[in-house]
Amino acid sequence: MKLLRDLLPIAAFALFLWFLPDLLRAFAGRASVSYLSLVTNGVGLAILALSWDILARTGQLSLAHAAFYGTGAYVTAIMARHLDLPLWIGIPAGGLVAVILALGVGAVTLRLRGIYFAIATLAFTEVLKSVFRHLPTPFAGGAAGINVEPLFRPVFDAATMERWEIAFFRNEGYFLLYALLLIITILLSLMTRRSRLRQAFTAIRTNEEVAAIMGVHPARMKLLAFALSSFAVGMLGAVHAHRVGSVVPEGSFSVETTVLALVTPIFGGLYTTLGPIVGAGMLAGIEETLKRNLADGYLIGYGVVLILSILFLPKGLVGTTRAWWSRRQSKSMDTAEEGSA
Amino acid sequence: MNTQPSILHVENLGKRFGGLAAVDELSFGVKEHEIFAIIGPNGAGKTTTLNLLSGLLTPTTGTITLKGQRIDRLPSFERTHLGLGRAFQVVQPFPEMTVRENVQVGALFGTPGIDRAEAERRADEAIERTGLAAFAERDAEDLTLLQEKRLEIARALATSPEVLLLDEVMAGLRPGEARQAVQLVRDVRDTGVTIVFIEHVMPVVRDLADRVLVMDHGRFLAEGSYAEVTANPSVIEAYLGREDDDEEAPQ
Repeated sequence: MKLLRDLLPIAAFALFLWFLPDLLRAFAGRASVSYLSLVTNGVGLAILALSWDILARTGQLSLAHAAFYGTGAYVTAIMARHLDLPLWIGIPAGGLVAVILALGVGAVTLRLRGIYFAIATLAFTEVLKSVFRHLPTPFAGGAAGINVEPLFRPVFDAATMERWEIAFFRNEGYFLLYALLLIITILLSLMTRRSRLRQAFTAIRTNEEVAAIMGVHPARMKLLAFALSSFAVGMLGAVHAHRVGSVVPEGSFSVETTVLALVTPIFGGLYTTLGPIVGAGMLAGIEETLKRNLADGYLIGYGVVLILSILFLPKGLVGTTRAWWSRRQSKSMDTAEEGSA
Repeated sequence: MNTQPSILHVENLGKRFGGLAAVDELSFGVKEHEIFAIIGPNGAGKTTTLNLLSGLLTPTTGTITLKGQRIDRLPSFERTHLGLGRAFQVVQPFPEMTVRENVQVGALFGTPGIDRAEAERRADEAIERTGLAAFAERDAEDLTLLQEKRLEIARALATSPEVLLLDEVMAGLRPGEARQAVQLVRDVRDTGVTIVFIEHVMPVVRDLADRVLVMDHGRFLAEGSYAEVTANPSVIEAYLGREDDDEEAPQ
């Protein structure tokens, strides 16, 4: 029953995502091209944020997710350039190499906590960025990066299509891939929430020494969290590389990715599956609205929104709503008891 | 004389922090199913000894043997898997979890390869034995001190220990609560668990302990029944013989 309780909303959400492009096309027409692009960005942010949150559940606040993202992007770009394989193979390969890298950085930083862990993972991202910049140019493109072939090339049919629909179908392909990655990430997140991993992760986050006395293997659990947390992000980086058509060190390993990965779950609600997704949806919407109204000044508005939310919603959107709901429930129960007394 | 072999054996155990020997050439053995107390003035090295036993500290010298197997170089979780449980003095419940879920951590991870249903059964049993059944669904952060102490013991019991280390579990309890806690420890021993405990409250040591080890300055001072060690002049001197000690003499 528990499984059904989880799978039904996920199936409904997957169906919604499946039909969303058609709904947008039906209601927004030509504008659906940019709407779909906006929604795709939101879904990408949700994958990044939810993946980051899985690792954060063990108390490890990573600044290495841009490294996993950039690695996925470069793996698919280098494979597409040098190997004669179907393009889509670069996506799972990007995820797998990100996992291997995550296990490596996880093993090295096992004994680090708090700020020391954060600094070590940030340094790792910067070092990796530098490595890709300095790899031989014919191999990895150097500072200029590599062009990456698109995954989708819709063909224009004048009899049945309008011009803008080429862009729509291209965006639709990427959107559906992003949606698939988000569903995979949700399943990974729920796997950790509904299994004994939840207790192990929370115990390690609260007090690693006490967790070990309870029989939890902290190193194994942390590495597992690293692997689960990096897989979808590596694949996301790979799909994104095909979507934008190029990889460059500064873009693929950007500080913006690092910051968004941790700000979004804090905004939406830490250690939950819903929080990072809601946070991503809201932040993507707020960013777009501010961009349209404030042009280049949108980052200031974005920063103000984040500061206010952290000050007034310390548990994030989902955590605050749940706390409010549980207060309301207990109040209504008290009222009912008084009434019956 | 009891010639029963020790389930837990410590030989020449030592721990140095720089120039300070917190534990020095300490040897003792704990027999199966007994309640073994470790007492001593503040700074005697009791908690360091417990930390060495449970793997939070690595000894500088000496060996620790559990059921005939060397454990002094094993990490904490492996010692737990071999049957060594521990309850802490300062209770640290895991947040965002109910009492039942807290206890399940010990049950799920204390025994390698245990299936979920069996772990849940063991957790429920530990909750029942420690009198926490009425609070099982309560948030672990909302418990009273006595309930927290019970939770601490329940979590340790859920790991299915053969030897249970208790670190001042009576600290901060009122006399009535301490009596309940003493009964709980006896009940646990009666189910076949060997108990090693540190305690400052001497009436508790008198009521509970089959044997008492007295430590002073990290070293072995005396061992025997409560009556024997409290009559020992060097033990009395350790508690009363120095002006800077504020401990009460054992009575």
